Amino acid sequence: MLLEHLAGNLIQGLVLGAIYGMATMGLSLIFGVLKVVNVGHGAFIMVGAFITLWIFNALGLNPIFSIPIAFAVGLGLGLIFYSLAIRKLLKAPELSTLLATFAIGILLEELVKLIFGSEFRGYNWVVGKINLGVTVLPVAKLYACIGSIIIALLLYLWFNRTRAGSAVRSVVEDDEGARVCGVNVGGVYALSFAIGIGLTVASGVLVTMFIPVGINPYMGGGYTLKAFVIAVLGGLSSPYGAFFGGLIFGIVENGSYTLFALIPGVEPFALTRFLSFVMLLVILLIRPTGILKAK
Amino acid sequence: MRKTVQRYYPLFPVFAAYFILFLVGKNVSGMWQLVSTLLFYCALGQAFNIFLGMTGYVDFGYVAFMGVGTYGMAIAITRLAHVEALGVLIVAIGFAMALVMAALLSVAVGAVALRLRGAYFAIATIGVNEGFRFLIEGAKIWNGSDGMIFTAQLNQILGRETASALSTFWADVIVLIIAVLAAFVTLFYMKSKIGYALTALREDEDAAVVMGINVTKYKIIAFITSASFAGLVGATSWALKTPYVFPPEVFEIHYTIEAIIIVLLGGAGTLLGPVAGALIYGISKYYLSIFLPGFQLLIFAPIIIIIIILFPEGVIGMLKKSFRDSTLMRFII
Repeated sequence: MLLEHLAGNLIQGLVLGAIYGMATMGLSLIFGVLKVVNVGHGAFIMVGAFITLWIFNALGLNPIFSIPIAFAVGLGLGLIFYSLAIRKLLKAPELSTLLATFAIGILLEELVKLIFGSEFRGYNWVVGKINLGVTVLPVAKLYACIGSIIIALLLYLWFNRTRAGSAVRSVVEDDEGARVCGVNVGGVYALSFAIGIGLTVASGVLVTMFIPVGINPYMGGGYTLKAFVIAVLGGLSSPYGAFFGGLIFGIVENGSYTLFALIPGVEPFALTRFLSFVMLLVILLIRPTGILKAK
Repeated sequence: MRKTVQRYYPLFPVFAAYFILFLVGKNVSGMWQLVSTLLFYCALGQAFNIFLGMTGYVDFGYVAFMGVGTYGMAIAITRLAHVEALGVLIVAIGFAMALVMAALLSVAVGAVALRLRGAYFAIATIGVNEGFRFLIEGAKIWNGSDGMIFTAQLNQILGRETASALSTFWADVIVLIIAVLAAFVTLFYMKSKIGYALTALREDEDAAVVMGINVTKYKIIAFITSASFAGLVGATSWALKTPYVFPPEVFEIHYTIEAIIIVLLGGAGTLLGPVAGALIYGISKYYLSIFLPGFQLLIFAPIIIIIIILFPEGVIGMLKKSFRDSTLMRFII
């Protein structure tokens, strides 16, 4: 009975993990290329969630259509914030970009609160459920999982099969060297920041397909923390590392929930949140390069 | 002798500002509430500046130390309220608890996080307040998510009148004392080996290491000092002023943001900066909340970005630049 329950939760965790992974790729891309930590990461996920909600409620469109729209909005936001703030701070001490991205996150939260209010919202997209024996998986979650995998594959192809992708990879390796070889490093920075934000906003759509309730301007905070744990699991500067980090994190989170629920007198949900914080510290301490890289 | 006195000249403007604040609050009717908030921001800014300003490291989990300090006071009061003989001493025990608990947490966090540099440090601290909150709620430590309310205990041991005087007046005076102490410690650190080592670290950590400076040691000193003051501020401004504690409130990241804004606005790493930042931030927030309620963060977020891009040295940093080498500068660092 317990094993069945655990197996069911692990499958849910794997599906959720794919979404977590996709939701972290933007963070890792931006850190890998610009060496900027986007502390306002969760706020961009929240923007994606509100885009989905608005499109679903106002236009009645299927959330899947929101993915490209959210990506486009993210590209635009990324370019705006890059040219207004980040570009001017690349040479400044780390403190500056940390605080700037933090402030950008607050700005987005407050703007969304101004427009939509701060109450919790949700939408109801009925597409049925699949019974897997050990667990029942809503089709919307399955779509979100497949969507995440497709986006991750597209990013992989863009990175490895296009000219722009190899320019980005060269900057990740060594920006001075790339500049010497004639790569437009400034352009790569702008492009990577925009794509990173685009991916993050798009992931907000997938997150709401998994959990279509609890959408509010401050929902991003929890995702920021999770994204950091996942990014660090994957080595912080590799988007694919982040994707696999997400899978691991989803499994650990759901598996530990099942185990914590066995301990009497505790709140298992709060403890899984605590565990993610402990994981973050432990990994940073013993393997700051991520657990997937073999040195 | 003259040299040692001159060394402490920069404390004059800081203490003058505190003194004027106190007088205004005491003598102008209806101002005490604003003054009490401003004193809280001054103490918070001074305390946070010891770490953020002097090392250049961003601690996003700073509020956790204030939260733990609040719990320290709460635990002392709830557990010892039945010992009638203690009287006002119970508050002193509460402060000791707050100090010890904040210092212990900072040692635990610092031991892990301070091994990491720059961005990695910031990432490690971003979950400290949330992590601690969820540990308290999840493992149901100290009443878990139910929190603690100790108004009755405080009334019982101090008597109703003293307890009310404590929360409406004396708590603010204690915050003022904490702010004064924090300013003093800041200047003491600046003028000692610790300050020089931290300046070297802030400018170029690699070079500082090469010069044989044990940067980790000085970072930890600044971290623990700053965290201990935060614990005291939490114990006073939160536990004594409003005798209850709930995990979501005392681990709210919002207060870390306010501390960051105050320090940056005034000038990170300067002595007078946090005071200037606290006054500008506190007064503008107070009047914004009257004229444009609910819009404070929406207004402050772009302001942070503008400050970082255009005035990274803050108000006092800019003053220092434009009045360099004048006698006035002896009083401002």
